[in-house]
Amino acid sequence: MTKVEYWVKMPFGPIHPGLEEPEKFILTLDGERIVDVDVKLGYNLRGIQWIAFRRNYIQIMYLAERMCGICSFSHNHTYTRAVEEAGGIEVPERAEYIRVIIGELERIHSHLLNLGVLAHDIGYDTLLHLTWLAREKVMDTLEAIAGNRVNYSMVTIGGVRRDIDGKKRRIILDMIKYYREVFPGIEDAFLHDPTIEARFRDTAIISKRVAMEQGAVGPTGRGSGIRDDARWSERLGVYPDLGIKPVMPQDVTGERPRGDVFDRMAVRIGELWGSLELIENALDAMPDGKIKTFPKDNILVAKLKLLVDGEGIGRYEAPRGELVHYVRGKKGSDKPLRWKPREPTFPNLFAVAEGVKGDQVADFVVAVASIDPCLSCTDRVAVVQDGKKKILTEKDLLRESIRKTREINSNIKGDPTPVGSSCSR
Amino acid sequence: MAMDVVGELVYPTVGLLGLYAFVSLASLVWEGVDRKLVARMQRRIGPPILQPLYDFLKLSSKETIIPSTANFMFTAAPGLALATAIALLAYTPVGFTPILASKGDVMVFIYLLTLIGFFKILGAISSGNPYAKIGAAREATIMVSREPAMMLGIFAIMWRLGKLGVDKPFSMGVFYVHNIWEIGTPMSFVGAVILLYVFTVWLASEIEVGFFNIPDAEEEIAGGLLVEYSGRYLALLKLTNAMKAFISASLVVAIFFPWGISGYLNLTGLSANVVDLLFHTLKVFALLFFVESVFRAVTGRLKITQAVDFLWKNVFLASLVGSLLIAMEVIM
Amino acid sequence: MNDNPANEVTGVKEPTKAEKVAEAIAERFPEAEVQVKTNRWGRERVWVRVPREKYRELMRFIKELDGEAHYSIGIEQDWGDELDFLSHVVIHYGDAPAVSLLVDVHAPKDDPVIPDISEVFPIALQFEREGMEMVGLDFEGAPDKRRLFLPDDFPEGIYPLRLDDKGVPEEMVHNAGHPYYLKGGAKK
Repeated sequence: MTKVEYWVKMPFGPIHPGLEEPEKFILTLDGERIVDVDVKLGYNLRGIQWIAFRRNYIQIMYLAERMCGICSFSHNHTYTRAVEEAGGIEVPERAEYIRVIIGELERIHSHLLNLGVLAHDIGYDTLLHLTWLAREKVMDTLEAIAGNRVNYSMVTIGGVRRDIDGKKRRIILDMIKYYREVFPGIEDAFLHDPTIEARFRDTAIISKRVAMEQGAVGPTGRGSGIRDDARWSERLGVYPDLGIKPVMPQDVTGERPRGDVFDRMAVRIGELWGSLELIENALDAMPDGKIKTFPKDNILVAKLKLLVDGEGIGRYEAPRGELVHYVRGKKGSDKPLRWKPREPTFPNLFAVAEGVKGDQVADFVVAVASIDPCLSCTDRVAVVQDGKKKILTEKDLLRESIRKTREINSNIKGDPTPVGSSCSR
Repeated sequence: MAMDVVGELVYPTVGLLGLYAFVSLASLVWEGVDRKLVARMQRRIGPPILQPLYDFLKLSSKETIIPSTANFMFTAAPGLALATAIALLAYTPVGFTPILASKGDVMVFIYLLTLIGFFKILGAISSGNPYAKIGAAREATIMVSREPAMMLGIFAIMWRLGKLGVDKPFSMGVFYVHNIWEIGTPMSFVGAVILLYVFTVWLASEIEVGFFNIPDAEEEIAGGLLVEYSGRYLALLKLTNAMKAFISASLVVAIFFPWGISGYLNLTGLSANVVDLLFHTLKVFALLFFVESVFRAVTGRLKITQAVDFLWKNVFLASLVGSLLIAMEVIM
Repeated sequence: MNDNPANEVTGVKEPTKAEKVAEAIAERFPEAEVQVKTNRWGRERVWVRVPREKYRELMRFIKELDGEAHYSIGIEQDWGDELDFLSHVVIHYGDAPAVSLLVDVHAPKDDPVIPDISEVFPIALQFEREGMEMVGLDFEGAPDKRRLFLPDDFPEGIYPLRLDDKGVPEEMVHNAGHPYYLKGGAKK
């Protein structure tokens, strides 16, 4: 007698309350069991690489920063590293320390955000609010240092833009003190709560073999037992002097890594402590000196035109894992001939799509959240539309939104059209 | 003959309508109180207390979208579910003997209570949405897992209380004649405590909060059973859910905390019933505070397999032990 | 740090990890161009340029060098007359610094075929899918040639990141009116 399989294909996304950003998974289900997962990317495609063909080195810094809000520093930083490698530009030591500090602050806020999202995905909203309340402190700190909650614009090619002076230093030390009080509670809630344990243990197991095959990076890779951290294996900047080492799940849970959601979460909790330590060490060890090689952007543009000749690779451990940027430039050109970023979510997404097979539908959203997907980073490539449909341009959208605003509230005064002629829309 | 019509038809109908109006209002207000309390526990401000009421009124006036894949049952189910909930009110102990209390009406109570879930499932699978179908499958699974423990417990209690001497055995009115704490032996006291645990977990799984927020899991299956409902159908289902929470909690309150205050105030007739109803409502709110608000603030949801395991291996077994303990000295 | 003997300068100049890997590859593949470049802050990277006939074999060899090799990025690009697929592989990351290895393989535009390496590094398939839709490379034997990023109704034969006439034509561009857009600005 042959067994008949009643398999159902179900779209998960592009718009789904469990996904923070539009991305589509096609699940093949046998009841509640997931048989197969197919990933379809591209719902957030903005054509950043295509746009980059038309931008110079400085402009791409802003473009890179705006690929994604959460890891804006990482993208900017890694791109900058790639250009510095291609151009052979040295960075002052103080700037390296400031980069470490901002990078680790970003890691803290990103990891806290992800912990909250994980809790929310199992309906545990109290923990969501607990972590996101704690996250406000680091966001405030970042705002005090960089002037913005996201898109800090701290890094520039050959240094950083803003210094960390005595006042900002005190704000950071305040924040560290606050987190030393708050983190034990968060750690306890996540590592010892029975609901968390029931939902996250042995869920979406990515074995070391699958992680290796699919090139999983960051907390996803480390959760599966791959001992790699780009900050450490790249001996990046001053990180080796600050005592960086990869955080493995056994450092946090005391058990050997199983590659499940719990381990990935445990790695993040370990990294929260690691980041605090790195920031403290960096604040202590930070030497005096200048913060950028080229004092003005116009000098930088001119220098880059001469200096960058060849290819450069930037590698950095973003909160989600290893981030790689590639830049190829030519002497005499003020813009790179090719720039390609590769985000940690890209391989992790395929790794988790493998890992979640055989689990239940209920596990899927947790599994996707456990790699901390940053889908707007992943969809970065060209977006151009064919002539078949009517495509709304930015101008149309602006006009439509003005019309809608007027419709809702006709009392609004003032002209919402953008002022200035710097950018001919 | 005319007296009979008034006594057996008009009074119950008016009473039921009054009860319906009160319970729907009270249950919606409770939902608002619950949201506010949970928000406070999570250090949020939370919505206004009357927000569910506003939601209900607004949803009733909103456009109702019916998917092209839906069939007739999709539109019929919300009305049927609400009608069932209203009919159920006539058999619900709300501080006094239910309006239509009769011999063996506990069967009707259980039947109508599960019928609400059945209509929700029917509506969901008629919508043609795969998420709704997963939600319906989950609801069905959890329904067959949670009800046996409750049924075993309630029959054991009713049977044991019947032995103390009542007019109408197996009626919801029994709880206001004798209560479970009156049996008196230490064994039965332990049994009653165990059954209290069983009924609290059952209540949580009946109103689907905390561990058991599985069929409607928003993050997993986008609202599950309710995914395709909108406008007035959604309003009806929301009201049904709120009333079902009130009714289920009423059962637990009637079994374990049936005491009224009208006796102390020397009230009789209608005023006694009103006072008892208000006091009962307070008790329901207090119970729901622990079972719903606190429970959903300190837990997340389980997987369906874990929930079924828990309901059978833990709650059903506890129900078995509790039932045996309170029935013991009569059997032996 | 001193726990890493590869980085210590001893009397006799000991080859670093990267140099050893470069040597091993050069020995096994005489036709490949191998060079070790060091950047300003002392990070070494091995750049390998290999003819496409030897590409798959080289990738297998890298996997043999380190069974835990990590394929981190595949970069497709248009060099004008040739298409290029550049892969970055991290090997020997048991201790810092890991060896950063870049494998470059070119294909002429009239015959843009490169062997598929997804049997060696399964994740490479996804970068190859991207390469196929973005610059029009063809990966021989790739098990999955569907589009990854581009929508299904995107016209055939147009590759957004190509710099020649197979790239995005101007009439398709609806909103790129940036002053630095060199070919005449936005379509209003």
